[in-house]
Amino acid sequence: MRLFWQLTKTSFQRHLTYRTAALAGLMTNFFFGILRAAIFVALYDLQTEVEGITLEGAITYAALGQAMIGYLSLFSWFELMNTIYTGDIASDLLKPMNYFGFWMAQDLGRAAVNFALRGVTVMIGYAFIFDLVWPRGVTRIFAVAVSLLLSWLISFSWRFLINLFSFWTPNARGILRFFFVLSWFFSGFLMPLRFFPQWVISISYLMPFPHMFNTVIEIYLGVLKGPEIILALFHQVLWVLGLILAGQLVLRLGIRRLVILGG
Amino acid sequence: MSIISVSGLSKYFKVFKHHRGGLGAIRNLFSRQHSIVRAVDDISFEIEPGELVGYIGPNGAGKSTTIKMLTGLLVPTSGELLVNDLIPWKERQTYVARVGAVFGQRTTLWWDLPVIESLNLLQHIYKIPKENFEANLEEFHETLELGPFLDTPVRALSLGQRMRADLCAALLHNPDLLFLDEPTIGLDVVAKERIRQFIQKINHERNTTVILTTHDLSDVEKLCQRVMIIDQGKLLFDGELSRLKDKFGGQRELVVDFSEEYRTYEIAGATITAQTDLQVTYAFERGMITASELIGRLSAKYRIRDLEVREPEIEETVRRIYEERLLE
Ligand SMILES: Nc1ncnc2c1ncn2[C@@H]1O[C@H](COP(=O)(O)OP(=O)(O)OP(=O)(O)O)[C@@H](O)[C@H]1O
Ligand SMILES: [Mg+2]
Repeated sequence: MRLFWQLTKTSFQRHLTYRTAALAGLMTNFFFGILRAAIFVALYDLQTEVEGITLEGAITYAALGQAMIGYLSLFSWFELMNTIYTGDIASDLLKPMNYFGFWMAQDLGRAAVNFALRGVTVMIGYAFIFDLVWPRGVTRIFAVAVSLLLSWLISFSWRFLINLFSFWTPNARGILRFFFVLSWFFSGFLMPLRFFPQWVISISYLMPFPHMFNTVIEIYLGVLKGPEIILALFHQVLWVLGLILAGQLVLRLGIRRLVILGG
Repeated sequence: MSIISVSGLSKYFKVFKHHRGGLGAIRNLFSRQHSIVRAVDDISFEIEPGELVGYIGPNGAGKSTTIKMLTGLLVPTSGELLVNDLIPWKERQTYVARVGAVFGQRTTLWWDLPVIESLNLLQHIYKIPKENFEANLEEFHETLELGPFLDTPVRALSLGQRMRADLCAALLHNPDLLFLDEPTIGLDVVAKERIRQFIQKINHERNTTVILTTHDLSDVEKLCQRVMIIDQGKLLFDGELSRLKDKFGGQRELVVDFSEEYRTYEIAGATITAQTDLQVTYAFERGMITASELIGRLSAKYRIRDLEVREPEIEETVRRIYEERLLE
């Protein structure tokens, strides 16, 4: 456990040094968020509420989405894949440590930096421009925090899992891209899932994506209430466990056929 | 009791036909067209604790592939491999805690961290007791002269500095075994010498078993009693370096400085290959005549001021073995 925090801390410090990149990301996220908010304003026109979400709620949704891009690494994550293709994975496997935990600790550091540098700042920025919805009550804030953490766990375990494709093919990048695009749609990142017909929602909930993004938003906005929140968190936990397990199994198969290049 | 025991070990690589483009990625997943490369082909050997073994062979011989299997990074295609009583790839996490490895071509340190931070992380990773860690760090700090670059990020180190940092990293946890894949690659003479001395010291003082691959045969000559030669995946020679020279060394040389001038310097059992003033170089066959016999014959006939027996260069010997496939 000491090691886990040590790795997290090191990764945190390392990502802090990429401040310029974080700032550039921040500006892009911020700008597109304003665009998305403007689209909601046009879309809502005179309606006060669509599918249980108010205009403020929709704008807050857009803001939250932009704030979470960095934290959840929603657009891409090829770090593990790259170590397989460069052969650097050898250095990691030569060390007596749990491979999944090793990456998880580092991603936690990365997520924490992005949460602070890009997440919180984006929300503060929007708070100056728009009327945002804020979660009220200790229970809800607590539920949001737990859900947010679970979102990261799902996101990480899922990214870990799909990166393992690179054990099987020398050009997994395309496959990963495809999965990321899939996740934008089915996680509710592009549009709140509630705005879609029921069958789309049903399909998407067969995948990990809504649990990684939509759930925390719905808890935040108050769309989910009381026992619904408990159930949603429970589903998140199940997905975390399922994805971790799948990751371990696939990793075991993958390492057997690992080919370390170079030398 | 051997520390490494290898029998009938092979590693074959399937080289798949590569499809390009986006759809190609999907096709690659299912494609079965391939050819087979026998990188390591049915090799067997045993290594005792405390040995320092040189593992040599031409490019593409299968050295790195063997080292990768020994370090648990590759799963063998067939054969048996037991190191430290463990099957490296199967019990990887337990196994790697007791071994160290340096790959000359890449670093096991974190690229963008200062050296000292990488080393500190390793303390946590290997769960090295504080006293051991500090004692080792202090020793290596001195012998490897890490001082000037401890706070430099690994990516900014020179090759020689990086190699020293990597060696330190590989030994902080007092491993039983040390695997070195081309630890002197690309280094200048002084840096090479320093690394050799360090390896020797570790082997002597800590009784660490060392296997090292190299293309620089002076590494082997200076460090190893035992040498293994691999070519095209097959183990061609395994034994003492001196035996290799005896067997394949070919002609030895005797250089003699005479005290005075003679009409002829001919002697039975040797041929003259060079002559300048009073210095004559004789070549003689190993097995035909010994150096002392030859010296005896010469001193019976001439007055000699000085002489020197020259062994054939190991480099020359090994080159002949590679080229003429003498061992097949
Ligand atoms: N991942 C791989 N896929 C296909 N072939 C491979 C792979 N790795 C190694 N080979 C082949 O196996 C053979 C042995 O390679 P290896 O890297 O073990 O050689 P080596 O003795 O270390 O050579 P060098 O001295 O050049 O480092 C070579 O023919 C190489 O092309
Ligand atoms: Mg090699």
